[in-house]
Amino acid sequence: MSTPVPRLTLRGVLARKWRIFLTVLAVVSGVAFVSGAFVLTDSVKRAINELFATLSGDVDLEVRSTVAFGDAARAERDPVPFEVADAIASVDGVAKVEVNILRAATVITSDGEPLRTTGPSFGIAWEGPDGLDGRTLVDGDFARGPGQITLDQSSARRAGYQIGDTVTIVGPNGKGEFELVGLNGTGSTSNGGGAAIIAFDPQTANEFLGTQNRADSLYIALADGASRDDVQQAVQAAIDTKYEVITGEQSAQETAGAINDVIDIFGNVLLGFAAVSLFVSAFLIFNTFAIIVSQRLRELALLRAVGASTRQIRSMIVGESLIVSILATVLGIFAGMGVAVGIVALFNATGAAFPSASLIVSTRTVLASLFVGVGVTVAAAVIPAIRAGRIPPVAAMRPELGFSALQKNKRLVVGSVVTALGVAFFGLGVFVQPGEVASTLLLAALGAVLIFLGISSLSTTVAAPASRAISRTLPLPFLPMTRSVAGRLGSRNAQRTPRRTASTASALMIGLALVSTVAVVAESIRQTFREQLEGSVTADFFISNGPQNFQGLPVAFAERLLELPELGAVSPFRGSVALVNGDEKQIGAVRGSAFKDLVDIDLQDGSVESLDEGKMLLHEDPAADYGVGVGDSLSITWQNGTEQTIEVGGVYADSSIAGNWLVGLDTLAAVSTAQPVDFFIGAKIADGVSIDDARIAVEKIAADFPSAEVQNQAEFQQSQEDQFNQLLIVIYGLLIISIAIAVLGIANTMALSVFERTREFGLLRAVGMSKRMLKRSIRWEAVIVAVFGAVLGIVVGVPLGAAVTTALPESFVDRVVIPFPTIISVLITAIVVGVVAAIGPARRAAKLDVLEAISST
Amino acid sequence: MSETATPTLTAAASAEDAFKIYGKGDSEVRALDGVTVTFDVGRFTAIMGPSGSGKSTLMHCLAGLDSLTSGTVRIGDTDISQLSDKALTRLRREQVGFIFQAYNLIPTLTALENIRLPLDLGGESGDQSWIDQVVDAVNLRDRLEHRPSELSGGQQQRVAVARALASRPRIIFADEPTGNLDSRTGTEILKFMRRAVSEFGQTIVMVTHDAVAASYADRVVFLADGRIVDEMTEPTADRVLDRMKKLGN
Ligand SMILES: Nc1ncnc2c1ncn2[C@@H]1O[C@H](COP(=O)(O)OP(=O)(O)OP(=O)(O)O)[C@@H](O)[C@H]1O
Ligand SMILES: [Mg+2]
Repeated sequence: MSTPVPRLTLRGVLARKWRIFLTVLAVVSGVAFVSGAFVLTDSVKRAINELFATLSGDVDLEVRSTVAFGDAARAERDPVPFEVADAIASVDGVAKVEVNILRAATVITSDGEPLRTTGPSFGIAWEGPDGLDGRTLVDGDFARGPGQITLDQSSARRAGYQIGDTVTIVGPNGKGEFELVGLNGTGSTSNGGGAAIIAFDPQTANEFLGTQNRADSLYIALADGASRDDVQQAVQAAIDTKYEVITGEQSAQETAGAINDVIDIFGNVLLGFAAVSLFVSAFLIFNTFAIIVSQRLRELALLRAVGASTRQIRSMIVGESLIVSILATVLGIFAGMGVAVGIVALFNATGAAFPSASLIVSTRTVLASLFVGVGVTVAAAVIPAIRAGRIPPVAAMRPELGFSALQKNKRLVVGSVVTALGVAFFGLGVFVQPGEVASTLLLAALGAVLIFLGISSLSTTVAAPASRAISRTLPLPFLPMTRSVAGRLGSRNAQRTPRRTASTASALMIGLALVSTVAVVAESIRQTFREQLEGSVTADFFISNGPQNFQGLPVAFAERLLELPELGAVSPFRGSVALVNGDEKQIGAVRGSAFKDLVDIDLQDGSVESLDEGKMLLHEDPAADYGVGVGDSLSITWQNGTEQTIEVGGVYADSSIAGNWLVGLDTLAAVSTAQPVDFFIGAKIADGVSIDDARIAVEKIAADFPSAEVQNQAEFQQSQEDQFNQLLIVIYGLLIISIAIAVLGIANTMALSVFERTREFGLLRAVGMSKRMLKRSIRWEAVIVAVFGAVLGIVVGVPLGAAVTTALPESFVDRVVIPFPTIISVLITAIVVGVVAAIGPARRAAKLDVLEAISST
Repeated sequence: MSETATPTLTAAASAEDAFKIYGKGDSEVRALDGVTVTFDVGRFTAIMGPSGSGKSTLMHCLAGLDSLTSGTVRIGDTDISQLSDKALTRLRREQVGFIFQAYNLIPTLTALENIRLPLDLGGESGDQSWIDQVVDAVNLRDRLEHRPSELSGGQQQRVAVARALASRPRIIFADEPTGNLDSRTGTEILKFMRRAVSEFGQTIVMVTHDAVAASYADRVVFLADGRIVDEMTEPTADRVLDRMKKLGN
């Protein structure tokens, strides 16, 4: 027979499989996030790349305007006049030139509502299935002339239309009615990845979408046998240098790359939560193994007595964790595929229609999952294993001697040092912010991890008195008082293993600390933001493109509002990017004369009207950075390459709506021929007009732009806060997973403790304790542990949040607000968590057979 | 000095000026208070004495499970106080066998695996015919694949005895091996231990409270208050009982 360590290890795991089960579950959830993030990003990216490769179809070359700077795929390019296409058509080797037009347009459903999509909603020019782009005709015919369109299959179905129906479409210049002649598709999908695609023939597109004989870009197909490189050069030679000729592949890659970046961000967020849940899991694993080791004290001592070496004992415990981790990791990888499928399904359910992707589990996914799953589990089991090795052989006969070996205590010193280090790192990351965002985040995260570890280590010292204090001060009507036997027992039990209580509570602490941190930062930002909005919004109406906000509003809307006698000041808010003295900045464009009545930007110097004279306004922070004031000039490079020197006409202090840089509408219009859209429009009622009359007039125009949303001051503020709240809900939602793992941890510890106290429970039952009382005492214990964890979480989280808030720029948050309602709900959550975690263990304890329990050793 | 008094060839284990002191000052307990004793090869020795007299302590120190405050313990020629934890572990595995009063077996291993445990831990295959002989001697042939929880108390103790013998250690220590058993099962175990000494030449040191059990030994050593107060060869139950009564008073 071979060495018994592997055998002992395997049997050890099997004998304790239920005790290890919850641990496995915790690791599985952590690994599932990791593998889910990778599987999702790999699979969706591949599908997106394929989609865009298909979309570029037979396009050999593409002609577009150059940009001076910025991301190739997201840049705002000037359009290409149709004449350029004519020039290209006569170049040798060019078989065909097509115009590429793509503009925001909305389908009105058969119920008269604008069709909601998760992706953008586009009108495009399409020459039909023989055209160069990769769209396909799924059913019917393609649009051949005025009054005809095709829709993507999914949008047609969701809008309630069939071929032959008359469909209302809203374009940049208003509504139009079209006959639906067919259904289009994109590559393998019957829609464009969540986007609505309305396809016109090129001439109709040009008219209805208002492109004024200018295309976004031109598609070129080569004649048979022509060399692409030669034609590319010949085309470039035939046209102005403000246009560039690129290959179809490059174009597809650029577009896919932009989307892939977004998917990567999504994947990174998932990985962030994987880190949190794995960190929490590590506590659970550590705890499980620590408890199991102490429960096996005699067995381990006996092994030592009959000749097992310290190393053999250690490898046995580490081996057990290895088995657990491999099992959990394999399950976790599969669960991760489930996570990926689930997320895709979730998005599809809301109409996104991801391109159908086969799941890709790459080697990297498996390796990364194994690395974190096995790494975290084994690392968490190392300390219990080292302790197990310390058990002296005499403990086989005198177990009490073993316990002291398991409890060598340097926690106070180590805990203080680690906490101090953590605070230092965190402070360095948040306040000093060395280097880039990534290193700042990394430093702060490392600091937070150290703080959590340090506090968890320190908490052992206070676990017993804290448990006592909690059991005395929890005055809950729905739970029995500490004066009851059950309450006393629960409280004593929480105190008797302070180490266990502390590390169980620590797992919960992490999730709740993060919640507290986020709550403090969020509430501080929210209140700052609210006050700024209240102080700065003077417009009576705000109009934005509600659900399709990112597409903006057609400029025609603002032009028609200007003609309304019921309104006084009206200004759209447009935006662009430009290089200011070489740095890329977001620049807003408004009508100065009106804007000053709509938004109070807390002007410090100069005048808002100066915008209309071609000057610019900037916030005092960049003004200080660049050392400029009213009368000075800055050099601006717009994306199409136009360079300007613009004089500063004013400096302001409130950037909450205006952002940091403002120019006049005419300034922007003069440099950019890209079709402008309005992010929102502000309007004030004319003197003597009632707000209700004005609203009726505005809504009447809005009826022609069905996706537009008209809001009064209060509604606008509410919608801004709602957006913020939605973001918070997502963050809280994901943090809940870490709390769920902590609940598992408490349940697990309780279950292990119940197992350990079998004999004691038997005795209690024998001397007359009822099942209900027994359950109650276990519930009490769990609640105490959970509340302890919550208090630790709040104590750690609130200062972290305050630190982050203080470190953020003043213009963003100017105060630290401690959200007491959130903190109280955290405490209530903890009590619920305790009660829930105790359900299983309590039931088990109550089920014990009294006689058997007493005779067990 | 003692080398001449106790020739190394015949000593399986010995203690010399052994002190084991717990606590300090007022609460000082001298569990062993200057014990010098030798256990000869191939002999069955019983250690007796009132509760708290230091029997278990002496055994734990002799077996390398616990360390002395001062003094020397030898297993064969080896002074075990000089050994590293690693060497001590090896010595326990190869030269010493144990039988405790209870909780002798690893619950997750079968009877046979428990018997082979010291051998397996050392990565040795052991002498299969010897193991067969031991298994037959303790009459466990049909129980080898059972887990401890499926065995009676007596059977569990027999597995423990078999394990102690399996690696043919230089010496076996047994602390009240029959303390938890009824007299019939106890007698079985004692007879078997006696056989191991007489037939196989095994050296055994056994702590017991039971005069009848002591009568199976070749020699009885009496401890009181951490000192050796008397010893007796060729003991009978009556003589031992007699001696114990005097000690108790
Ligand atoms: N870890 C310890 N700390 C303090 N005193 C101890 C410790 N272990 C043993 N003692 C004391 O040493 C003395 C001898 O104990 P030991 O266990 O050797 O007695 P024993 O003869 O085996 O008794 P019994 O017959 O009851 O098993 C006792 O007084 C005991 O209280
Ligand atoms: Mg004893």
